[in-house]
Amino acid sequence: MSSVFDAWWLPDAPADLPLRSLTVGELQCRYPVPGHELVQGTAEALQNAGEALRRRPVREILDAVDAAAARLAEVRHPFRQEAEDLLTSATGYSPEMTRLVLDRMTADWRRGPLVELLRAEFGDTAVLDGFASAGGAGPVRRRVRAYGPRLAFQVFAGNVPGVAVTSLIRMLLVKGASLGKLASGQPVLPVLFARALDSVDPELARALAITYWPGGSEWDQTAAGAADLVVVYGGADAAASFRERVPDHERLVVHGPRFSVGAIGSEALGGGRLTDQVAAAVAAFDQHGCVSPHAIWVESNGTGAARFAKSLAEALQRAERSIPRGRIGRGEAAAIQQERGAAELRAHAEEVRVFTGEQTTWTVVYDPEPAFRASCLNRFVRVHPVPRLEELPPLLAPVGRLLQSVALACDSSRRTHLADRLARVGATRITTFERLPWPPPAWHHDGSAPLRELVRWVDLEE
Amino acid sequence: MGDRDADPLRERLLEWLDTADAAIEGPQRAGTEDPFNELALRVFERNYTSVAAYGAYCHARGRTPAEVTHWLEIPAVPTAAFKEVELRAPDRPAESVFRTSGTTRGRERRGAHYVADLGLYRASLRPTFRSFLLPDDARLRFLSLMPPAPALPDSSLAFMITDATAAFGAEGSEAFATVEGKVPSGTNGAAGRTEGPSGVAGEAVIDFDRLEAEMDATCAAGEPVLLVGTSSAFIHWLDRLETGGRRYRLPEGSRLMDTGGSKGRGRRIDPAALRDLYGTRLGLEPWTCVNEYGMTELLSQRYDDGLRSHHQGVRRPTRKHGPAWLRSVAVDPETLEPLPAGQLGALRHVDLANLDSVAAVQTEDFGRVFEDGGVVVEGRAAGAPPRGCSIAMDLLLGGDR
Repeated sequence: MSSVFDAWWLPDAPADLPLRSLTVGELQCRYPVPGHELVQGTAEALQNAGEALRRRPVREILDAVDAAAARLAEVRHPFRQEAEDLLTSATGYSPEMTRLVLDRMTADWRRGPLVELLRAEFGDTAVLDGFASAGGAGPVRRRVRAYGPRLAFQVFAGNVPGVAVTSLIRMLLVKGASLGKLASGQPVLPVLFARALDSVDPELARALAITYWPGGSEWDQTAAGAADLVVVYGGADAAASFRERVPDHERLVVHGPRFSVGAIGSEALGGGRLTDQVAAAVAAFDQHGCVSPHAIWVESNGTGAARFAKSLAEALQRAERSIPRGRIGRGEAAAIQQERGAAELRAHAEEVRVFTGEQTTWTVVYDPEPAFRASCLNRFVRVHPVPRLEELPPLLAPVGRLLQSVALACDSSRRTHLADRLARVGATRITTFERLPWPPPAWHHDGSAPLRELVRWVDLEE
Repeated sequence: MGDRDADPLRERLLEWLDTADAAIEGPQRAGTEDPFNELALRVFERNYTSVAAYGAYCHARGRTPAEVTHWLEIPAVPTAAFKEVELRAPDRPAESVFRTSGTTRGRERRGAHYVADLGLYRASLRPTFRSFLLPDDARLRFLSLMPPAPALPDSSLAFMITDATAAFGAEGSEAFATVEGKVPSGTNGAAGRTEGPSGVAGEAVIDFDRLEAEMDATCAAGEPVLLVGTSSAFIHWLDRLETGGRRYRLPEGSRLMDTGGSKGRGRRIDPAALRDLYGTRLGLEPWTCVNEYGMTELLSQRYDDGLRSHHQGVRRPTRKHGPAWLRSVAVDPETLEPLPAGQLGALRHVDLANLDSVAAVQTEDFGRVFEDGGVVVEGRAAGAPPRGCSIAMDLLLGGDR
């Protein structure tokens, strides 16, 4: 790949924009030099495009999104092939991981899952197209309509590809125009999706504008000022800075930093496919997703958990062969070596064991200390013993506000009770190891309803 | 056991620290006189037998004193290990315990360096400081932006500055920082001994008004001084000077030592830009600004050789040099194998002053080590791309990196 990737979608911008370069992994990109005119002009164009978007029934938006997603899903389509090449270059993922991520994420952008999402959130999607009966038997006859924002400013995070596209699609479904600001690490998919959408429905594609500018610049303020809803993904810093800069009257939706964990009941140990499912969950996105497990607690007196750690190591080695870990930065490699060495030094006086793959490809640390420790990622996972799974929620409580998913492998008789305890300390999703990396489209993302949190409801009373 | 006289290796080491070159630059002199390797292997053997966790670690790697013949083969402990295990001989009480600055949020622990023999620390830091900051043997007052050691008993940097001041600072040297409002006790005295860990170090508070009054007096009197502090303290001060529209022209002969880069609190600024600011705001030539590279885990330091080179009338690219008893190598972070001279890698140091802990320390700092032993440090995690959510969460949980 020697050509330069144009990391923007600005259908209404002038043709000869001055550009700057940006290197993302091994991908050379360029983006338009931001400026007041560009940002303001884009916002205005989006307001207009939004009018057209609002006149389109949800059914048509679904058709267009589905067709665009198909172009990124179908293995032989040029858009898909381009996506594979560019993503691999930009993220450093192995080609196998790139294909897996594209297959799983594009599947969520097809009509079926999106219809499921709309139904889960709105029941009858007629409320998005017009005033529809609110039902109920009260004395006031009422119709309601859900209105998406006129213009949303969306700020994307760089940890995994695809999340930005999901967010853009959600906004289209509620008929909001989006100005999307790319994360410096993930320019590819949102732009390709916009181009794919343009190839099937140019009018809808004009309700998207996607570009990049370095974080913390004045354009964040300009864009936020032009929008009536700001959606921010990513780090605590980003979220905090937007909270300060978004005017009080404007709505702000934040999807901040999150991590996930796993828990295995003693009765679930020895299940044939469990270790491979755990390994796959650790391996997905090379562990950079909010859904990625940093640590696994195994209900045992110690030996069971240590044995599990060893089997997990073997499973991660198998995963390395089938879906290799990608290229990582030298600082990330150095961090892995630091954590490994520190764990190895503890092995003299404590029952710590360290299992490692070739170079820094994967690491399992069996750590008898039950407290949660954040992972340095890139397939580095700790296994802790815990006498009873019921003792896990208090261990997670100190970091509960950052906790997202818990993969729970246990007997069904315990599941609900444990889910309740985990929910109380902050978990917003309790799932299985197999599903951990791939939440269903209708999931309550970080505890909220992803479409409903974007709309305002208007009541029409008789 | 603890008695210095009964420890020939310690004696030999102290003797070497006293006579060896405290500033190695130029190609390492080939030949029979350089005892580094021989002493490194003896220090390694001491570390191996005294620090049980380290002995086991080396044994597990098949790198025991019987098998290792070159200092590059000595297994290095990661700096992270200082947070997790006590790397010390259990039978030697610590004269001081120095701790890394870490946050106390979440479960992040601070690294601890148990120093059984502060004499070794002094024996290392003094000649090296002198070589790079006082090659002209100037007698200067030291003005410090760091609280004196008694106020920060777990800071190895505070100890170093206080001790260097005691050894080389002229009458009237002062510290302009305190901890939590406590009045600093005498700053020109000996650093003194402290027991092990007392409490968590408080916030350092710099008395800028008093410092600036002193600067006015110094400039008026035309008397050169040596300023010393962390880079972040200096940046804080420089920002304040800019806001107030003030600048100084320090008398010729003045110089500055900073350390720590601009990690941690405060805004980031690259070393070249910081030097420019020292020039603009303090009237200091770039070669008089010497950055020190040290860490809690080591008792020896490296310094920019710009001032020393200038004093020698030699032109060469500024690199960080150190004493004969400290060697560094850049390693491939994936394999931990040493890289050839000049290649960028994760820095590993072998510091023979770490007789009572572990001499071979692997850091996450990236840099290049040249043929002449000089090092150019590029900072930490220079290659890691920001990944959004996950890295930020790491910071939230109090990760040091």
